[in-house]
Amino acid sequence: MTISPAGYDLGDRRLIFVLGKGGVGKSVVSSTLGMMWASRGQRVIIAEVANQHRLSEVFATHDAPPNVATELAPHLWGISIDVDRSTQEYLASQIKIRPLVDLLVRSRAFHTFAAAAPGLAELVTLGKIWELAVSLEGGHPVWDKVIVDCPATGHGIALLRTAGNVTQLAAHGPVRDQAHRIEEVVMHPSATGIVVVARPEELPVSEAIDAITELRRDNFPIAATVMNAHIEMRFSHEEAHALADIVAADRVTDAALHGARAAHRRQVRADGHLAHFTQATHLTPLILPDIGPGPITPARLAALAARCAAQVIR
Amino acid sequence: MNLPDLMARRVVVCCGAGGVGKTTMSAAIGCAAAHQGRRVAVVTIDPARRLAAALGISDLGDTPRQVDLGEIPHGGALWALQLDAKATFDRLIHRHAPDRAAAERILANRIYQHLSRAVAGSQEYMAVERLNELTEDPRFDLIILDTPPAQNALDFLDAPQRMADFIEGKALRMLLSPSAAHGHRGWRMLHAGSSTVFSILERVTGAQLLRDLGDFLQAFDGMYTGFATRAAAVRTLLHSHESAFVIVACPDDAPVREAVALIERLRTDRFPVAGAIMNRVHATSSAQLDLGALRTAVMPICLGAPDDLIARINDQWIEDQARADSDHEAYVRLAHALGGHEILSVHELDDAPVDVHGLIGLANVLGAATDPPDGTHR
Repeated sequence: MTISPAGYDLGDRRLIFVLGKGGVGKSVVSSTLGMMWASRGQRVIIAEVANQHRLSEVFATHDAPPNVATELAPHLWGISIDVDRSTQEYLASQIKIRPLVDLLVRSRAFHTFAAAAPGLAELVTLGKIWELAVSLEGGHPVWDKVIVDCPATGHGIALLRTAGNVTQLAAHGPVRDQAHRIEEVVMHPSATGIVVVARPEELPVSEAIDAITELRRDNFPIAATVMNAHIEMRFSHEEAHALADIVAADRVTDAALHGARAAHRRQVRADGHLAHFTQATHLTPLILPDIGPGPITPARLAALAARCAAQVIR
Repeated sequence: MNLPDLMARRVVVCCGAGGVGKTTMSAAIGCAAAHQGRRVAVVTIDPARRLAAALGISDLGDTPRQVDLGEIPHGGALWALQLDAKATFDRLIHRHAPDRAAAERILANRIYQHLSRAVAGSQEYMAVERLNELTEDPRFDLIILDTPPAQNALDFLDAPQRMADFIEGKALRMLLSPSAAHGHRGWRMLHAGSSTVFSILERVTGAQLLRDLGDFLQAFDGMYTGFATRAAAVRTLLHSHESAFVIVACPDDAPVREAVALIERLRTDRFPVAGAIMNRVHATSSAQLDLGALRTAVMPICLGAPDDLIARINDQWIEDQARADSDHEAYVRLAHALGGHEILSVHELDDAPVDVHGLIGLANVLGAATDPPDGTHR
């Protein structure tokens, strides 16, 4: 991870995994990064896993069929990765004889195997992501950026680990070779970057710190950290202090003054969580502001992307 | 939701989207119940050790550890533990394998080692196994289960069946070791088809992986019935009125949508839904702010022109009202999905509770008559 005075540099990494605790806004951060890179003319695809369907909500589009890239905005595409479909695609690419593939996917034995085989769902999901990242057309990459909106931290890290696990599990054979190729890309800091997201609250911050420790220990390439939904200073300490001394004549004014002081306390707490995060990880996060209640709209997303662009060189 | 009724059950399952405060609510319900004389174990199932943070215990492990609540009446007590899927699975093998050699054979199998460490699948399954173990532990009379941060919040309901299917999967056993199928009616047909399937699969996985898998499944021979029986027993318990499901949500779009889907799924499958907790609700006050009155109020503290400060206070007021209105809409949507059940609203706290005092405070909010150890409120 590089931060110069000019801002964040995520490099030319094509594969970006967005990781964090449930509820921190991974989908929003994925979409924001996607919008930012797309607005700079890059071809971007955001991959959702495990039937999340958050992208269609964010961009107010219809749910696209699984494993089909759908245009969300200019230069920006989305894809929802489906395990069954990806398994079939993978088998077809390996076996290459259609009737045999059909025989396999129709057999009950195979379904029993596929439904419960440990790590199979993660492996085919990661395989599909890898395929997006390495696919070429006319000698050029199809996608400049592949952004993965990961499941919550534990499951997200499990997804990142899956190729390495399979490499250990299978001594040889096509599955092992495939897993090894995926592992090389996922672990390589010039190909892949993990973006760890937190929001300025106790538990999301401690989970992000733990995740970073774990990722560093195992040499996963961390590209950036994001403090999402940060509360911006609206009232100075002096103002908050002075407001505490005021007695309002009516209930509503009193409530408004109370609201201002409460907002200041939230600011101070958010700053405390931010400082703790920075100090514990020695990383300076990208800051995305709290956008308030209500659904994410493309306009709000564009505003976030602009805020992000102001902090990120590339 | 009726808290006293909830605390009288044997099992309480807290479910909902990630990040809504499930773990904190599980711990708070646990605190409240302990203060009512129940002997409670709170199980959390999260690699990030959230309950540990909430309880101020850093090394929360797989073994139930008693939480210091100070003096509490009626012999109540609270234990907390974090699910360790691998430890639970290993214990299961030791307990149910026909002999020591069989157990060692399973534990040494590479497929087993991978399976028992896999976060997805095995974690959800072992949550249910751990629940089963704890219901048999005489120390506890109430188990509170915080559900895994799964991609789908109800994965853990399906996990036992999926895992049992995998381990017991007759089709797969026959596929991998056709000789095991002797004596089964129709085995010949299945075998004939399966050997083709087997050889195709082998082309993809390599022979060694399939051989390991075959060994693994054979090692489980004789344990199948046990797995199926326990999966069925837990399912029966979770369906009974000794159990209660509590949906936890916060008033944002996605968590409420997930909560509504959860409620529908639980209803369809006839699990006992006790109600919901809406966490982090902002109070509403639909009154109009009188800017003249605000100006009069802030005038004494303004050295220069107060317009800028007044505008910012007003902006904050408008934002707070919008937040409260949006929270109310979310509440209505959840209430509609719940039908007759009550929703407990918990107001946005200054900070999520990170110690026992905070949890007791929250338990009070949830409607329990409890007192913090030193008699003071946080």
